[in-house]
Amino acid sequence: MTPVPGERASGTGCSIVGVGTTEYSRASGRTALALATEASLRALDDAGIKAAEVDGIVRCTDDVVLHNDLIETLALPNVEFWAHGGLGGTAPSAMIGYAVNAIRSGSAKVVLAYRSLNGRSGRRVGAGYGSQQAVVAGGEEGGRYDEYFLPYGLTTAGQMYALIAQRHMTEFGTTREQLGHIAMTCRRNAQSNPAAQMYGRPMTMDDYFNARMISSPLGLFDYSLETDGACAVVVTSTEQGRDSKTAPIAIAAVAQGGSAGVQAGRTLSSLMRKDLLTFPSHLVAENLYRRANLGPSDIDVAQLYDCFTITVLVQLEDYGFCVKGEGGPFAASGALDTTLPINTSGGHLSEAYMHGMNHVVEGVRQLRGESTRPVPGAEVCLVSSGAPPATSAMILTVDR
Amino acid sequence: MAQTPPRPTPCTTDPDTAGFWAAAQQEQLVVLTCRQCRSVVHLPRPRCTQCGSEEMEWTVVSGRGHLYSHTVVYHQIHPAFPVPYTVVLVSLEEYPEVRYTGYLPGAPDLVAGVAMNVFFESLDGVSLPNWRSA
Repeated sequence: MTPVPGERASGTGCSIVGVGTTEYSRASGRTALALATEASLRALDDAGIKAAEVDGIVRCTDDVVLHNDLIETLALPNVEFWAHGGLGGTAPSAMIGYAVNAIRSGSAKVVLAYRSLNGRSGRRVGAGYGSQQAVVAGGEEGGRYDEYFLPYGLTTAGQMYALIAQRHMTEFGTTREQLGHIAMTCRRNAQSNPAAQMYGRPMTMDDYFNARMISSPLGLFDYSLETDGACAVVVTSTEQGRDSKTAPIAIAAVAQGGSAGVQAGRTLSSLMRKDLLTFPSHLVAENLYRRANLGPSDIDVAQLYDCFTITVLVQLEDYGFCVKGEGGPFAASGALDTTLPINTSGGHLSEAYMHGMNHVVEGVRQLRGESTRPVPGAEVCLVSSGAPPATSAMILTVDR
Repeated sequence: MAQTPPRPTPCTTDPDTAGFWAAAQQEQLVVLTCRQCRSVVHLPRPRCTQCGSEEMEWTVVSGRGHLYSHTVVYHQIHPAFPVPYTVVLVSLEEYPEVRYTGYLPGAPDLVAGVAMNVFFESLDGVSLPNWRSA
């Protein structure tokens, strides 16, 4: 369908009708399955939909909880569709996209998407790769090419992002203080969100600078918060959603984007791409804005994947909020608290690291007017999923 | 303090990357190039990403380069790498778009763009290309 110039495209015809989360903690004392089940039941309750109506499930490829597991714990009588999609943080928006496609194609009517992890008390994401002695080979094992990285002590995503940040500083004069503004915005937003791990722990720029260095130029508060918890989302057609308990939040568009040159694998190999300082998010943005017939100036609020501060800074450029190289000054301009409020629940940096799924939940709450840091009049929310490999994003709007 | 385990050694038998490690064993630094269109394919792939040819060869380069980026790791994660240590990304003189990784103990004073030279160190019998300031 060709969008009418100047008008919002009609959208996917699908909506998010329920969201649910568990408590976020450093030690849940429960299984990831128990967490996924709780978040799912909360999302269904939020939607006013009985669990028995769920006929589709979308799981992140990295989740330890299988669709089969949830079918049992939720006692689902007939699941006709399931999909496993997306690497870690790049997955959540794409997962919603699979739900949309399943509904549009008639494969399912009520689709549950979830992310559950004991990310702090269980396997810590920050532990990185290569705790084993033998190094996984080249084109095997998902194109990791570990032999070019692990023998050199390059073993974590944080170290990779540190190299990206350092290069951004070299090429564009980006500063730590500019990164600090991103961390501060997320921390400020978390102060009104009692569910956030950093609730009650405000931060000054001095605090940011005084925190210990982890992998230069990134310090402690440039890093997100490994977390135990789960998020779940229920997707139906918008028409069906209008009968649900809460107002449906329309999925205007979902996009994925990958292209040759981005590099294989999921993490460290990204360091070998020609243009290190542009993420595939740039391609996702093109696809997304085209599908939604919207542009960056139409975005009222954004939930930007923030595994690290630098991840946000580069996405500000890639999603067209400023030109390439200007992410630092843009972040320091105050825009992230005013004209482009971001990560209104606190994001990964200050709410919880739910691998991008809490950004989906907050996008919905924001447009419902349920956010603890409401943006007055917000009708259009960008939700981005991870970087730096091929990734996904979506635009949510109020139903009108 | 627990004894530091040895650094992980690279897999040298992968069909797509073994040539890199075989050259390193001869103390040569190489990049994968296409015999048909002469493109560089980095990281190595089983076919040319430009023209699709499967006729690939390893081309020896000088081992000179420039510092592209670096990070000093202060937070201990992998037990084989006591902190602080430095990871460098080096851009090759002949092919600036090609980067290789290096490891330096400690926190040496480094500035982007400085000249770097390859050297070869032995890790459990495997010859590993590594980098230091020229």
